[in-house]
Amino acid sequence: MTHKFFSHQGLSSLVADLLTAQTRVIAPVCAKDDPAQVDYQLIQNVEEASFGVRLPRRSLKEFFLPPSEVLLHYKQTKTGVEIREVPTVAPPQVIFGATPCDVAGLAAVDKVMNWDYRDELWFGRREATTIVSFLCNVMDSTCFCTAVGSGPEATTGSDVLLVPVDGGYLAHLVTSKGEALLQSYGLPVNEAMMATAQAAQSAARDKVTPNLPAIPAEFAGWLARNFDHPVWKTLALRCHGCGACASVCPTCHCFDIVDEHESVDEGVRRRNWDSCQTALFTTHASGHNPRGSQSERFRQRIQHKFSIYPSRFGEILCTGCGRCSRACPGGMDLPTVVAELVALSQAKPEVSGQ
Amino acid sequence: MNIYQPHLMRIREITDETVDTRTLKLEFEDSSLAEQFQFSAGQFGEYSVFGEGESTFCIASPPTRAGYIECSFKATGKVTQALRRLGVGDTVGFRGPYGNHFPLDEMKGHSIVFIAGGIGLAPVRAVIWNVLDLRDQFKNITIVYGARSVGDLVYKRELEDWAQRADVKLCLAVDPGGETPEWKGLVARIPTAVEQTVSTADDTFAVICGPPIMIKFTLPVLEKLGFPGDRIYTTLENRMKCGLGKCGRCNIGPTYVCKDGPVFTAAQMRKLPQEF
Repeated sequence: MTHKFFSHQGLSSLVADLLTAQTRVIAPVCAKDDPAQVDYQLIQNVEEASFGVRLPRRSLKEFFLPPSEVLLHYKQTKTGVEIREVPTVAPPQVIFGATPCDVAGLAAVDKVMNWDYRDELWFGRREATTIVSFLCNVMDSTCFCTAVGSGPEATTGSDVLLVPVDGGYLAHLVTSKGEALLQSYGLPVNEAMMATAQAAQSAARDKVTPNLPAIPAEFAGWLARNFDHPVWKTLALRCHGCGACASVCPTCHCFDIVDEHESVDEGVRRRNWDSCQTALFTTHASGHNPRGSQSERFRQRIQHKFSIYPSRFGEILCTGCGRCSRACPGGMDLPTVVAELVALSQAKPEVSGQ
Repeated sequence: MNIYQPHLMRIREITDETVDTRTLKLEFEDSSLAEQFQFSAGQFGEYSVFGEGESTFCIASPPTRAGYIECSFKATGKVTQALRRLGVGDTVGFRGPYGNHFPLDEMKGHSIVFIAGGIGLAPVRAVIWNVLDLRDQFKNITIVYGARSVGDLVYKRELEDWAQRADVKLCLAVDPGGETPEWKGLVARIPTAVEQTVSTADDTFAVICGPPIMIKFTLPVLEKLGFPGDRIYTTLENRMKCGLGKCGRCNIGPTYVCKDGPVFTAAQMRKLPQEF
């Protein structure tokens, strides 16, 4: 990995040049409805961006998997149906100031979207996007990225990681895409900068680590063996099944496919965000629902993130951003739930529900 | 063309199987696609009515009959009711084939017992015709099929055809109370019908589809006859949207019905979390 130094001014002029060249630039921006909050948004000039203020309310996934997205247009004609395809090539865009947990979420969803069948809509946007993430310094007590294999300094999914050093940023050029973006920008780094960056990364990591110990590798297997453990019955008592957790989650990617009329003979097929926490998600046409209770639906959420996805793709489907805990109207707290389950999994002898 | 975009198909024939169950015979609009299209018995597809949505059914016709596919459905929800309103010549969308299939190659040279209840005959019918079209490659073929009542039996003309064939042993049954004065088949539930029809598990595979309650009470009968769990095949039908392993709803624990299924052995089913 190569490195470069950017002064604050140097970074600003890079963003300004991108905007001048009509490149879409997405950055954290103070929310209009609540200036204390931050959202990822398209920006028109670099002054709009608020880097390193706090974790954006929603993750980056909406820029790759929009909450509602057209899959095709159809038109009924006198002789049949005509389909108009939607483009799978997206305009180039650069995301500045992403938090490593949000970017890691995209990398996790990549694996599902490329699982035997390649989702060109997702990858069209992924390939057109260059991601510059910032060393996270906006963690709070709800964050637990270091427990799930990520971290405030993680580079998974990022093309560039910027780490603040004296007078500006040290840029880790993670991918060739990142190198291309910064090709004609930046200054050489010296050892002092590298040491400062390293210290900042360790310090950031140390702020998150106490929140939740690293999830042991055996946890996934324990969950799979304890599908019928009595703990599931009580774990979700405070869950309303609203699905807010899934909306704000950087890795939740479940969707519904529905048709919508736009006139008598024309319309669209859409995919919309969906959540495994709602009852209709799995209800059969007959009325039978394999996950008929909220405890079964919450079990699915935990099993999927910490056992099912890991069994398929070798990593946890959670980046520890903590948004589900912040969004939950019932006060469900994922790190608490996980800690409770991990403790159960480590209790001897193993209590098996099967 | 993105992976969610269906091919266009035309309805060539409509057959009413029962008062609420209908079979559509579909042909690809694009004739080159029709020639390329290949599938195996047991695979499924996403069928759509434009403006209404998509619905998941197995392909009910056998791969040995090229040039068309058939689907059988009960008008239950929004899409199936809309499908029912369509006529011959109308256009539907089709994505597929998806999922795994019945192991026909493994079954070759052996006997097969087919057991189905109600509309569960649809996926089994694809295998039955596949096997009958290659009849000399299989040993004894037994079909046990039942429904709640005589009126609920599907593919009635084909049942007559199978009844007349010397190379097929057919047992038809209806639940007690579902018979008519003319009914010549058994008046019994499927587990009893299987007990009375099937005498050996030797060198035999079982293929079983139907309501969960039927499968639950028939599996012990098959086991008593000596069928090992890995020679009993069935299909699971969970709610799906994409059929491609992405929309996240058809899984039973770590097993995705759309990718790992829909065909499973009884031995595999026993190992699954009991959430289906």
